Amino acid sequence: MKSAKWENIFKGWNNSESETVHTLKKIPVFRNLSSKDFGELENMMHRRDYKAGDFIFKNRAPGEGMYIIMRGSIKITIGTRSGNENILAELEKGEFFGELALFDDEPRSANAIAIEDCKLLGFFTQDLMILQERNPVLGHKIMFNLGGLLGERLRKTNHMLIKEQSK
Amino acid sequence: MIEPQVNYIQQIYRIIIALIVIWFINLIWPFISDVILMLVFAFLFTTLLLSSVDRFERKIGNRGLSVLSVVIILLTCVSTFIGSFVSQISIQAQEFSERVDQTTMVNEFRSLGDKATSAMPSFMKSEESSSDYLANKLTEITQSVLGSLGSLVSTVGNFMFIAIMVFIFTIILLSEYHKFKKSLVNSIPNKYFEVGLKLIYNIEKSVSSYLKGQFLSAASVGGMSIAGLLLLNFFGANITLVIFIGIIAGLANLIPLVGPFVGMVPALLIAFMNNLGNDAATSHMFLGTIPSPFFSIDIIFMFLIVQQIEGNLITPALVGKSVGLHPMLVMIVLLIGGTLLGPLGMLFAVPASGVIKVIIKEIAFVRRNAHLL
Repeated sequence: MKSAKWENIFKGWNNSESETVHTLKKIPVFRNLSSKDFGELENMMHRRDYKAGDFIFKNRAPGEGMYIIMRGSIKITIGTRSGNENILAELEKGEFFGELALFDDEPRSANAIAIEDCKLLGFFTQDLMILQERNPVLGHKIMFNLGGLLGERLRKTNHMLIKEQSK
Repeated sequence: MIEPQVNYIQQIYRIIIALIVIWFINLIWPFISDVILMLVFAFLFTTLLLSSVDRFERKIGNRGLSVLSVVIILLTCVSTFIGSFVSQISIQAQEFSERVDQTTMVNEFRSLGDKATSAMPSFMKSEESSSDYLANKLTEITQSVLGSLGSLVSTVGNFMFIAIMVFIFTIILLSEYHKFKKSLVNSIPNKYFEVGLKLIYNIEKSVSSYLKGQFLSAASVGGMSIAGLLLLNFFGANITLVIFIGIIAGLANLIPLVGPFVGMVPALLIAFMNNLGNDAATSHMFLGTIPSPFFSIDIIFMFLIVQQIEGNLITPALVGKSVGLHPMLVMIVLLIGGTLLGPLGMLFAVPASGVIKVIIKEIAFVRRNAHLL
């Protein structure tokens, strides 16, 4: 018989990874974290289900945080679906989007729409704030990773600009 | 052309539903008010203790054990405080009753009355022997105070029941807080998810910073009261249980407006009990000019100074900013809370209005951005 008490006592003996932790480990924002850190993050993550065609967020809507795709796929678009829709990217399982909203209060710069039924993990500014308060070491690790990620993107953009200018 | 009509009907429909809901709440309020009060208290205690429990949980790795540890530490502190306070006060009361019987008390009041009358300007003295009148009046007051202690004991039973229920609710909330919050967040539809999450976070932040501010200001009142009483003792006030009086003054300070006055009562009572029969204390003059029997005016003056420092310097810095309400609005809200629910209403008025402010702000935000959600 499955008892909650026994389950609690032997928690951690079963080392098989949950789907959430498995997905989180692939995300650069959460690299170099211990399994204990992943356990804490797993408890903080918000699991959300979206049907095909649902808006995850709309362009110019106030943004609160990032989403990680656990199942399914989504598209990032500008414009409406009726005609002038411009697809900027299609993202699949294990990819993430909206991470800039963790830092700034600026509205979303594009639409995010579910291509098929999908399961997403949400990590928001409020969660990061709570994490900074409760577990500053983990909070700093994530901030450092986010900083690294943004730096990497800036470097890539600079390279592209230099290439364009040298043409 | 049809749309405005539909909206009009929808508005009427909403108003009718709102009225039915208000009527229903009003109907069941007497049956649920106690439970809601207990839950509110439990939520406030949970907010206060949550960070300690979370910290313990990270170290121990078990939520149940960390709740148990925090609760045991808290209970030990509270029971040590109450136990030693009760034993000290009963020793004091016993000594007092051994030292002073009713006749002595009447005589003391009589001599006090004489002294007070002689200190008054001549136009204020009445023809009739005011000392007798004053002595009888003071004895009457003292006896009625002692009598009302009996009725106080009868309410202790009810208080104990509420305290135990609040304690149980707090333990449950502490152990399951994150799960409760998660289920609440999960129940928000995708469309309002980010806004809902922000609303919950802002409410938590508002309540928690208000409580932290209040407790810091209570601690400062306690500390300042202890320092003030020790200073008075230096001038011969002979006040015992100084630390207990300080803690009570600090805790009473949590109730706005009324609290600070409640805080000075134990100090006045103990000064009276300790100095009854002491001629020097009975004929003490505040600043050498105003009669201050048993250092009563000195004590009141000291508490007034503490309140001024707390009210004008500490609370605006710690509490006012946390809720972000205008001082005038705080006064109005306190009066409304006090009128509706008495001292408890005053205790909850400011944090409740802080929460309502956050909710209104978020609703306005949703209405403004409805087309983007």
